[in-house]
Amino acid sequence: MKKMFGTAVFAAALTMCGSAYAFQCAVGESSMDKPGGFPERALTMIVPYGPAGGSGQVAAAMAEAVTELTGVSINRDHKPGGSGTVGMTAYMAAPADGYNVLEHIDDAASAHALDSSVPNPAEDLIPLVVSQVTFSQIYIRSNEDRFTDWPSFVEWVKAQGGRATIANVSKEGSMERVTMRFITDATGMEIQQISFDKGAPRYGALLGAQVDALFEQPGDVRNFLDAGQFKPILTIFDERPGVFADVPTHREMGMEFDPLLRFRGFYVHKDAPADRVEWLQWAFQRGYCEDSYQAFNESKFMTVIDSYRDTDGAKELITRSVSQYRDVYKAMGLDVK
Amino acid sequence: MIENFLAGSSALFGDPVTIAIFVFGVIGGMLFGAIPGVSMLTLAAILLPFTAGLTPAQGVMLFAVIYCTGTYGGAITAILFNIPGAPENAPTAFDGYPMTQQGKSGKAVGAAVLCSAIGGVASALIMMAATEPLAQWAIRNIGPPEIFALVFFGLAVASSVGARTIWKGWMSVLIGLLIATIGQDPVGGINRYNFGVGDLAAGIAFVPAILGFFAVSEIFVQAERKAGGTYKAPKVSMSFPTFLELWMHKFAVLRSILVGFFCGILPGIGATLAAFMGYGEAVRWSKDKESFGKGNLEGVISSETANNAATGAAMIPLLALGLPGGALTAMMVAVFQMHDLQPGPLVFYTSPDLIWVVFAAMFYANLSILIIGLVETKTILNLLKIPFQFLAPLILMLATIGAYISRGLVLDVMVMFIAGILGYLLRRSGFSIPGIVLGLILGQIGEQNFAQGMQMVHYDLGTYFSRPICAILIAAGFITLLANIYRAFAPAAQPR
Repeated sequence: MKKMFGTAVFAAALTMCGSAYAFQCAVGESSMDKPGGFPERALTMIVPYGPAGGSGQVAAAMAEAVTELTGVSINRDHKPGGSGTVGMTAYMAAPADGYNVLEHIDDAASAHALDSSVPNPAEDLIPLVVSQVTFSQIYIRSNEDRFTDWPSFVEWVKAQGGRATIANVSKEGSMERVTMRFITDATGMEIQQISFDKGAPRYGALLGAQVDALFEQPGDVRNFLDAGQFKPILTIFDERPGVFADVPTHREMGMEFDPLLRFRGFYVHKDAPADRVEWLQWAFQRGYCEDSYQAFNESKFMTVIDSYRDTDGAKELITRSVSQYRDVYKAMGLDVK
Repeated sequence: MIENFLAGSSALFGDPVTIAIFVFGVIGGMLFGAIPGVSMLTLAAILLPFTAGLTPAQGVMLFAVIYCTGTYGGAITAILFNIPGAPENAPTAFDGYPMTQQGKSGKAVGAAVLCSAIGGVASALIMMAATEPLAQWAIRNIGPPEIFALVFFGLAVASSVGARTIWKGWMSVLIGLLIATIGQDPVGGINRYNFGVGDLAAGIAFVPAILGFFAVSEIFVQAERKAGGTYKAPKVSMSFPTFLELWMHKFAVLRSILVGFFCGILPGIGATLAAFMGYGEAVRWSKDKESFGKGNLEGVISSETANNAATGAAMIPLLALGLPGGALTAMMVAVFQMHDLQPGPLVFYTSPDLIWVVFAAMFYANLSILIIGLVETKTILNLLKIPFQFLAPLILMLATIGAYISRGLVLDVMVMFIAGILGYLLRRSGFSIPGIVLGLILGQIGEQNFAQGMQMVHYDLGTYFSRPICAILIAAGFITLLANIYRAFAPAAQPR
């Protein structure tokens, strides 16, 4: 009962603070003429991940919002595999007629940073909108008694002599791996990263005490936070978001690095007809403002910080990320091509 | 529990709309499960947006029902045409299709129907009785090292299935393991054997590989026989297994329920491993190992019992912990979220009515497999009367569509045909197609968990043995391996 009460209070707090970032629709026009009748048929959205994950869900929510707004159907074509490379390859081979759009995440930026022959989403594609931007946190079990906050966690990890573990997606060059590198360099602690590419085994590993901590974004573990099972001990962002006002940021804990953000957005070929691109930009940016999409983003903790970037904002975010990743890769001694 | 179950049943059958949704899920799951490539996941993805218009209980129940019947659906095409509808039905084809060729299709399909229902119902009952404690036990005691050990234990018997000699059996498994290494490594994301082909970074997908090794290679074999004048059309048999025949396999059913349930309860594992492990255990405990892969009824029984036993089990981590075990259960999370609900421990307190409607629906869905399966089987078996010259192009067309549609990649169609040619040549040489497929599927699961396990034990192999479940499984796997080697050298084994 006590746990239930605590959980309810926490959930209520989240609800009250959930919309910490004041949302304002940046696109004024609620309708736009179709250029030359475009689109005359359904659009195809290539999604480089499965339907059940974060990308699949945001693709479905945006497709629904754009369809509500314009009446144009969007068929989602999931091409998972190879950390997004399969979907990207398929998209680059698809006709650049505006009928094909792409959903992708920050992995596209980090892949380009590591190998410049891989398309740069800011230059080889036109971002229509970035509709989800989020930060990462370090979580422990709520009933953990070996450590309770970030300082005691660091102290405990150091005492383990490299035997402490953290679950994440630590593929070569991933945002998680790079950020963990920043953290371990700044704190001097040594921790074994266990890479789980699927969410369920990753979260199960923390719940079942198979690992000591978890690196994740808050939206992905919201149900565990609501249920009072996970507890954030570090926010990797420049300031404390209102929802997590009692969780210190990495800068407050003495780690001076620019946080890498997880972002998901929608793109079109750069040589698609300009008038069609303009219509797509309106449709996707305005789609972000639809009630259904906003409700979806709120359910995913994506309204805690500013999740919206228009084309220029997205290009800036991607370019900065590519530059950050490239610097880190070189420092890590990776073969940057 | 009984009161809750009755309440769930009356909620399910007290509303005509809910009944209609239940019936739709049962039939839709069976149909989509039976067509290769177009799996129950396809149906679920199509239906996902429409569940917003249903009540939460109806939406989640629909997906749970599709999960139960879709897992069974693929068994029919696996048995009759060597086309597993999904990877979890592949082991059913190992013995089911040879039975069809021997004119025992009725027995194989009848056993699949009955055992799918038994496995599913048993799983649903255990799920109703002990969801929360089982989920807690599984996540505390089973991590990547244990899952790797389980896969190793399963692979240890793989050499016994379907090959002309035990050495060719092992070679077959190793070929499967080698194919499983194509694509990005599961932990570091490093490309291997993709030769610069971007699409290969995702590895060899199960569906096209299975379609190639089973369906396409079989068409080549039959076409060769047809051209050589030795082709014999399989006899259509309507005789179902007798009660006595099934009773003789009662321990196989019980064993597969336990194995399937155990695999299903592990987050991220699910029915595919369950079916392969169930089949592997049937081989391990049989006195007539050599008969597997050649039409042993116990192979069909074990595989189909285990994969349906995994369905109820997979709901346990989902409902109790919010951890979906596979793609379909992950879509169920989306259904929950559409209705502002989150699966996890609180759902038992906040939405007990919903939970018991779902439990009841899964129980009845598995019973429906028995009823609808027995009714439809008589009709389906008549498909075998289609002459080979019409059937072969139809199977090739279905297989090609199935290979392409799962990811929309031409590469997968190429993979299917290459696997078909390779399978045809290897079969002629006495290698085992089931062994290759076992190696491929268990290899991908095993490698990932081995790599994660090694990270967890700080690259100290000895530490694996400090985990009791892991140590027992690995030791048992080694004993099986040694026994196989002994049998290969023993004089009695030489005539094989």
